[in-house]
Amino acid sequence: MKQDRRGSWYLLTGAVLGVALGLFYSWVISPVKYVDAPPYALRADYKDDYRALVAAAYLYSGDLLRAQDRLAQLKDDETAQTLAMQAQRALAEGRPEEEVRALGILAMALGGGVMPNISSITPTQAATLIPLTSAVTPTPLLIEPTASPTTTMQTSPTPPGILHIPESTTHYQPPRTETPTATQGAPFMLQETKLVCNINQPDPLIQVEIKDAAGQPVPSVEVVVTWDGGEDHFFTGLQPELGLGYADFVMTPEVVYSIHLANGDQTAGPLTAAKCVADDNSQYWGSLFLTFVQP
Amino acid sequence: MSRWTKFLIAVILGAAAGLFYGWVVNPVEYVDIALESLRVDYKTDYVLMVAESYQVDHDLGLAVRRLALLGSSAPTDVVANALSYALQHEYASQDLSLLQALGEGLLTWNPNQEIPTP
Repeated sequence: MKQDRRGSWYLLTGAVLGVALGLFYSWVISPVKYVDAPPYALRADYKDDYRALVAAAYLYSGDLLRAQDRLAQLKDDETAQTLAMQAQRALAEGRPEEEVRALGILAMALGGGVMPNISSITPTQAATLIPLTSAVTPTPLLIEPTASPTTTMQTSPTPPGILHIPESTTHYQPPRTETPTATQGAPFMLQETKLVCNINQPDPLIQVEIKDAAGQPVPSVEVVVTWDGGEDHFFTGLQPELGLGYADFVMTPEVVYSIHLANGDQTAGPLTAAKCVADDNSQYWGSLFLTFVQP
Repeated sequence: MSRWTKFLIAVILGAAAGLFYGWVVNPVEYVDIALESLRVDYKTDYVLMVAESYQVDHDLGLAVRRLALLGSSAPTDVVANALSYALQHEYASQDLSLLQALGEGLLTWNPNQEIPTP
């Protein structure tokens, strides 16, 4: 009788011990290694790297179709918005200016459907925007490939612990627009300056909105504000809830300001805080709203 | 069948169940994968993007840092593999030229000249 009662428990003990050993082996000693992953499965910071690289490559080619197709592999909900937000994050984190600019230019192109504003690229970079003209088939023997990745992946059996992420088996190759013609972006021009009276806004602001030729807001544009004895810089898009092309600056009453875009020649000013009159005839500070557009 | 044999069979079955659970049902980090796990065609496109951006910035150090995200292989090997794949799949000649230009640039790259970035 005693031996019969023990019989059912030792099997359960063995199974539990086995499960524990299996989990220890599969989670600690030999965890799953993913191969053949698509870009959308990347970790968030690698996705940021990927987007930054797509934007950097776009500066070279100006091929919006190719950039769109590459970004589509990340399966972002709002591609242009995501890029603009990343540009702002990069700016705030002190990332290289070239990266911020590239992200902003691509976000602008995707948002407005226009070609990159090449005028915002440094002269050195602009000079290199012409694609390689050599149509000669290169001689890859200069670099000896160490392995043929395709062959290896197709013939070698998959070892345990290697999991292929289910994905389309079709081969991905980015499309190329055959004749990329990056057009010169026109400078932004001041279209309108108006006084905005908002009693809920206690401080007088210089509010700037920047739009491209298609009427789309443009993020990451540097605005320079100067006054007697001072200067400050601010960027559009830092308050995305107010629009990607929006930026503002708090004025001090009685101080005379002028503003211009970092990449533009036109100066707006003099600008000073003006008062508005409320319904009860009390006065409060209004804000100046300036709209710059790309003609 | 002895008790020990049954016990060992139970352990093996349990281990198999644990492995199945750990590798298939609930594996480690299904999301948040690294760039080195990209499929070979995406890796090739990644290298092509590095080659395209290299034409703008001419910064071999930056190109090497970007290529290093694809794994521990030497940058020249990474580019060579990408070029090999691109040739097999008949990429446009301009793309092949870009990869070739990057590969040639890397052959002249001297890491000792690299200025460390803060």
